Amino acid sequence: MTAPVTGSHDLPRIAEIGLEAMPGTGRRVVIVPCVPALLPEYASVSDPVADLRTACVAAVAWLDSDVRVIADDALGERVAESLLGKASTPGATDLLVVANGSARRSEKAPGHLDERAAAYDQQMGELLARGDVAGLSGLDPALGRELLVAGAGVWSTLVSEGIDVQSVTTDHAEDPFGVMYWVVRWQCAS
Amino acid sequence: MMAIVNRTPDSFYDKGATWAEDAAFQRVDLVVAQGAEMVDIGGIKAAPGVEISAAEEKARVVDFVARVRETHPGVVISVDTWRAEVADAACVVGADVINDAWGGADPELVDVAAAHAAAIICTHTGGVQVRTRPHRIEYDDVVAAAIADTTAYAERALAAGVARESIVIDPAHDFGKNTFHSLEITRRLSEMVDTGWPVLVSLSNKDFVGESLDKPVGERLLGTLAATSVCALAGARIYRVHEVVETRQTVDMVWTIAGRRPPTRAIRGLA
Repeated sequence: MTAPVTGSHDLPRIAEIGLEAMPGTGRRVVIVPCVPALLPEYASVSDPVADLRTACVAAVAWLDSDVRVIADDALGERVAESLLGKASTPGATDLLVVANGSARRSEKAPGHLDERAAAYDQQMGELLARGDVAGLSGLDPALGRELLVAGAGVWSTLVSEGIDVQSVTTDHAEDPFGVMYWVVRWQCAS
Repeated sequence: MMAIVNRTPDSFYDKGATWAEDAAFQRVDLVVAQGAEMVDIGGIKAAPGVEISAAEEKARVVDFVARVRETHPGVVISVDTWRAEVADAACVVGADVINDAWGGADPELVDVAAAHAAAIICTHTGGVQVRTRPHRIEYDDVVAAAIADTTAYAERALAAGVARESIVIDPAHDFGKNTFHSLEITRRLSEMVDTGWPVLVSLSNKDFVGESLDKPVGERLLGTLAATSVCALAGARIYRVHEVVETRQTVDMVWTIAGRRPPTRAIRGLA
């Protein structure tokens, strides 16, 4: 497994790691953030989330052609299905999970600065990097809501799915707008 | 954006600022750097004045076009002339567009455009003589007249062999029109757009703006941009302008509002 995410720098990038670098035959899970700017109806001339989009598209391409979307709300489903280019497939084993960290990481952040955001995201990043589904589902939901975290409810679904993460690659970990984004791939054992 | 470059000592707006060839050339460099895709080079001011022979007009324009062509191979060069002889000489040295501001006064102009595979801008002047001011001109319906004349001119160009995509129509604000006519043309520009021919508008600092706001030349930019907004919303495609940067921003903003272009970079509320 890769090292836990501890910040925005010195993280492995797609170009460096290569998508074939993760062996395994079990189901695959990708986590992407719930970012409306990824939607085609909100496209700009100059893409403000170009790096994130690149990482999301590459990670989604790593999944099977049939993918089930796990999201907390309609916006998350829209973002996921837009990245997939098709609707969620009920019963598919590979999963596209929509979740992100706090949107209160700085004074310019959508939710302004909340001093608790950094610690929350630090912990969430470490859990993602370990593929620790139980740990993620154990994060304080009330605090998550206050910190404008997206997808806090998806982890309990993954627990009930019996996700057994074997290896993890963090393709993207940035907070360019005061919102913590991760693009993470989990290769499961079964 | 089609930026106006005058090779004249007496045009109304710049009053000869680019009469010297080097000054005109610096203006070309500037407007290209500002993002103008097209320059419109003219050797005779539109208003009445000293008569300029075809030979003198060519002397002002042709070598200059050649110099611009050589230095800016990517810019579209338009020549503002009603004379086929001048247009022909300019096209030989690299002009791409003939801007016939006087509405087909010289019937051979379309043949010149066809021969050089050049584009042509078909304007409406209400049948007035070249370089005259409108005096007590009346129309039953100025928009209908502009549409009828410009589309007839466009069809004539097409029949002469000019490519369909190289034909543009221009209602020609203030040409053969009083201020009320130009305002009505502006208000109803969508009717011209609906003809399907691409529409050029030349609004920049004109008298209909000045009279609407009682502003002299030099204080008409805001009025020009307001008129530009209205034409942009209607779908005008080419803007013949003095101020490239301001007009570009205005048109981009309106096209973005109209949903014809995405925002340059939108992240507010979408992060």
